[in-house]
Amino acid sequence: MPKTVLDPAQLGLTELDHDLNHHTELPRTAISDFLENIIDKIGYVCSWLWLVAVGVIICTVAARYVFGLGTVMLEEIQWHLVGAAWLVGLSYTIVHDDHVRVDIIHENLSIRSQAKVELFGILLLLLPFLLISLWEMVPYAMSSLSQNETSQSPNGLPFRWILKSVLPFSMVLLIMAASARLIRVSVLLFSKKPNKNNNVNKSI
Amino acid sequence: MDISVIFVIGIFLTFGMLLFTGFPVAWVLAGTSVIWTVIGIISVDYFGVDLWFDWGSSLGLIPERIWDLVGSDTLVALPMFIFMGIMLDQSGIAEKLMSNIVKLFGGIRGGHAVTVIVIGMLLAATTGIIGASVVLLGVLSIPVMMKNNYSKELAVGTACATGTLGILIPPSIMLVLMADRLATPDASVGDLFMGALFPGLMLGAMYVTYVLVLAAIKPSVAPASKDHVKVDAALFWEIFKAVIPTLGLILMVLGSIFAGIATPTEASGVGAAGAIILAAINGRLSFKVMQDTVIATTKTASFIFAIFVGATAFSVVLRGLGGDEVIKNALIGLPFGPDGILLTILFVVFLLGFFLDWVEITLIILPLVAPVVQSLGFDVVWFTILFAVCLQTSFLTPPVGFALFYIKGVCPPEIKVSHIYRGVLPFIMLQLVGLALIYYFPKIVTWLPSIAYG
Repeated sequence: MPKTVLDPAQLGLTELDHDLNHHTELPRTAISDFLENIIDKIGYVCSWLWLVAVGVIICTVAARYVFGLGTVMLEEIQWHLVGAAWLVGLSYTIVHDDHVRVDIIHENLSIRSQAKVELFGILLLLLPFLLISLWEMVPYAMSSLSQNETSQSPNGLPFRWILKSVLPFSMVLLIMAASARLIRVSVLLFSKKPNKNNNVNKSI
Repeated sequence: MDISVIFVIGIFLTFGMLLFTGFPVAWVLAGTSVIWTVIGIISVDYFGVDLWFDWGSSLGLIPERIWDLVGSDTLVALPMFIFMGIMLDQSGIAEKLMSNIVKLFGGIRGGHAVTVIVIGMLLAATTGIIGASVVLLGVLSIPVMMKNNYSKELAVGTACATGTLGILIPPSIMLVLMADRLATPDASVGDLFMGALFPGLMLGAMYVTYVLVLAAIKPSVAPASKDHVKVDAALFWEIFKAVIPTLGLILMVLGSIFAGIATPTEASGVGAAGAIILAAINGRLSFKVMQDTVIATTKTASFIFAIFVGATAFSVVLRGLGGDEVIKNALIGLPFGPDGILLTILFVVFLLGFFLDWVEITLIILPLVAPVVQSLGFDVVWFTILFAVCLQTSFLTPPVGFALFYIKGVCPPEIKVSHIYRGVLPFIMLQLVGLALIYYFPKIVTWLPSIAYG
């Protein structure tokens, strides 16, 4: 496919992103929009945690080298922030269809075949894993809460259950994201009315 | 035949076949682990298969294993280096470097290609996402080289090969990931960064030498720039001013790690902050740029961590089914001697690199083979760097190298796939020579880490 040369000065991430990823266009529905909007908002807000983490690391370095202070608590804050950000980011990345695929065959399939791959993949691979993980993670977080678990280090953070609760929370978000996608591929595959271009849209 | 062998073949076959459906790799790994947990439990409970395998030794471990990822100090460096790379891409540094360094080298034959390699190595230090660095270099440099009547092959080959150096030259997120998976004090992030430095620089130097020699023999493929300005002190000062912030940032990040002042995690955060400052100095920092950067960081970090989650589940089940032992015995049973086993592993990695990204290979294959290689008496840092160079080479190799797909996406239409294939061929040869040099002279890797800890 011939492509015009991009002007480097205008090369933003959107263009880069477009070059690197193939996005299958799926029809949208009210329910899937609702679910995806929630995840999109949460994911957007959590994206700023990276910047907060950068700030915390600078504070850690300053505290140690400039003020000679102990930094255990700050170090724990770093991985708490980063952990929360990527756990939430997993579902955000599904909504934006940016998870890596081996697309040697995939990109040559028709849109219906791609949707079938998506349908079976979500039902047989993704959702079973997510449901099992959620099932295992809820008691895992609950036991942390009931023991009022804290950091093992004396100067560490209290309330470890907060971050441990993000594990099942991220699974819930992932299940929502997978369900939204499942609805969208189902509409494409099983809807009586053929989809016209006017209700087909790039994932938000 | 041992039942574990059948299970291991089965689980890898399932993974391999599902992979090619094009469903996201992370979820294929996760789903495969569920399928084989069910098969494992059924065969133990109903068919009396002699294997100690149950829920508690497989998927029941998921929360703890994922928590280990969340609680990892090393892995904090991953999104921070990603943030730094994306911010630098956004900051306009690359264009500025291109327009300045080309003034320095433009006058000599092959100068533009040399410029691309130098910039690629500087930027390599900042990215590490193979697609992004290849695309960025391609967009930036191919049109300029074409305008200066470079041969299509040389232009595209240089951009493509240099782009892949990004995953090798520290600070590279691939090396962070490898150190985390190796989980041995013999190969910390710092060790791997130090070990990769000279191999990376060596490969870069080989590229430059090749371009200069080729341009001297065949001037038509890489002519000197016509509108070239004389290099004098003032110009040199200009160029120096343009290069110093980027170079300073990279030296600060690597230097603080190598000197033992900062942990890689701290250095990554400082690097990210430095990238923000550079963008601000360049007048590129705005709310939109910051927003784009954090969002892109989320997407990139999440796809890597998603594969982490999937690979964790896969590895837990593989180990539960006896996979670690099977693979260890299979490798040790090879009738080639230690060096033959090592070369076999590298060759398999090279082949896998055609189909899989470095993330999957690092997460699944490296932890399986590294203990075997270590038990054979090889230096683990040296092996890991060989592994890394091997992966990088396979991304360049037709017909399915990743870098080739990415570069095709940003090439001007007159560049055909055949130009790309012919263009990368000499660079693949250089890679193989480099690999052989590292293999025969392990000091290239081990010297720097050895003096650092004296």
